[in-house]
Amino acid sequence: MILVDLNAADDRPIYGQIADRVKFAVAAGVLRPGDLVPSVRELSKQLVVNPNTVARAYRDLQAEGLLESVRGMGLQVAEGAADRCRAARREMVRQRLRHAIEEASQSKLDPREIETIMHEEWVRVNGQDNGDGRS
Amino acid sequence: MIQAQVRAGAAIQVEGLIKRYGKQTAVDGLSLTVPEGSIFGLLGENGAGKTTTIQMLLGLVRPESGRIEVLGLDPVRRGLDVRRRTGYVPEAPVLYDWMTVAEIGWFAAGFHLDSQGTTSGYQYLYNELMRGFDLPPNKKIKALSKGMRAKVSLSLALASDPSLLVLDEPTSGLDILVRRDFLESMVDLAGAGRTVVLSSHQLGEVERVASHVALLHSGKLILAEPLDELKSRTFLLSLTFASRDHLAGPPGGSSLELIDISDAPRQAHWLVRAADRAACEAVRALPGVEGLQIETPSLEEIYIGYMRARRPALAPSLAVHVA
Repeated sequence: MILVDLNAADDRPIYGQIADRVKFAVAAGVLRPGDLVPSVRELSKQLVVNPNTVARAYRDLQAEGLLESVRGMGLQVAEGAADRCRAARREMVRQRLRHAIEEASQSKLDPREIETIMHEEWVRVNGQDNGDGRS
Repeated sequence: MIQAQVRAGAAIQVEGLIKRYGKQTAVDGLSLTVPEGSIFGLLGENGAGKTTTIQMLLGLVRPESGRIEVLGLDPVRRGLDVRRRTGYVPEAPVLYDWMTVAEIGWFAAGFHLDSQGTTSGYQYLYNELMRGFDLPPNKKIKALSKGMRAKVSLSLALASDPSLLVLDEPTSGLDILVRRDFLESMVDLAGAGRTVVLSSHQLGEVERVASHVALLHSGKLILAEPLDELKSRTFLLSLTFASRDHLAGPPGGSSLELIDISDAPRQAHWLVRAADRAACEAVRALPGVEGLQIETPSLEEIYIGYMRARRPALAPSLAVHVA
């Protein structure tokens, strides 16, 4: 049984958010190949959303080959899903950054100013760069 | 007795429903279908006709004209049978204050005899629900908080294991935890293939759990369709214009249907209905348009837009979307 939570501020369709959360869980190893995902009924109760919404998320994940049906038991994480979910997570990050860059570009700010802002925000979140965790 | 034919998969079918109170028309030619297994959100301002409609569905009020089928039955002629198969949580439930939580369950069980004429099925479920909601069995109803009274009401409705649950603003004035309990029960029922009709002002909650919504205004139906269709076809357009003298709305012949407009000297917000996002992008090319942002509005924003309905005089009138 995994715990999934939704971000109330996110205005993307809920079924998409649910699918993404499952992918993140698989990418992080919280859900491993062979693990069962919660039933539609269970998850819809946990998230307090319409069961169709969960069903749609699960259908999409099945179509992507990340979940597979196990007769009599439900849906489980497919073999090889972890790598694909990590790739999907990377793609998601790319898209969000792209969206932010599009917005920044439309603002008609100087491109160098945008880069400065990006660097400042990176430092704010991660500390001084080099990725060694030290500020 | 000939049983009415139910359209496959329809828990409720309503056609041309009319109800008048003196000179006032409370429900004005309402037609809609509630699919089996759906969570159907009934929205509208106070006095829009939601409660009257619900009362007619349950056979508590008689329509002037129109056809109704609830779970395959005519509530006008077989109201008792409809109410036996339906769990109903009215807006202001009337409970016997002097009874305890356990006693009222025992009392209500008498109205829900099973095929062997016993009350054990109802009693068993009621006890389970009492436990699940943490209700003190020996406390008198009059000593309960508002939230606990609401849970008693819900337990009474669910104990009959109904195929249809009808809730008329069940959680107004109640705290978030009680509202959660109600929502979880609704979702659980729908997960089991039962049907839920929910009349509510809590649009955020309706948006989460409903599969379908219908919007009533002054007794008339404004729209009724699956929620995900409504959300995928309604867009909020934020426009910036080159000058103060700009378009009043989408030009005639545009594929965009205008719902509501907010105007400012060089800006406007258009709430529109369109086939898809691409159809909205076309607005970018209209004369005088400098900038365009397309967003997906929340159910609350959609509802407010339909209620405000500020449209320039020349805009075509809105077609009713029934799906």
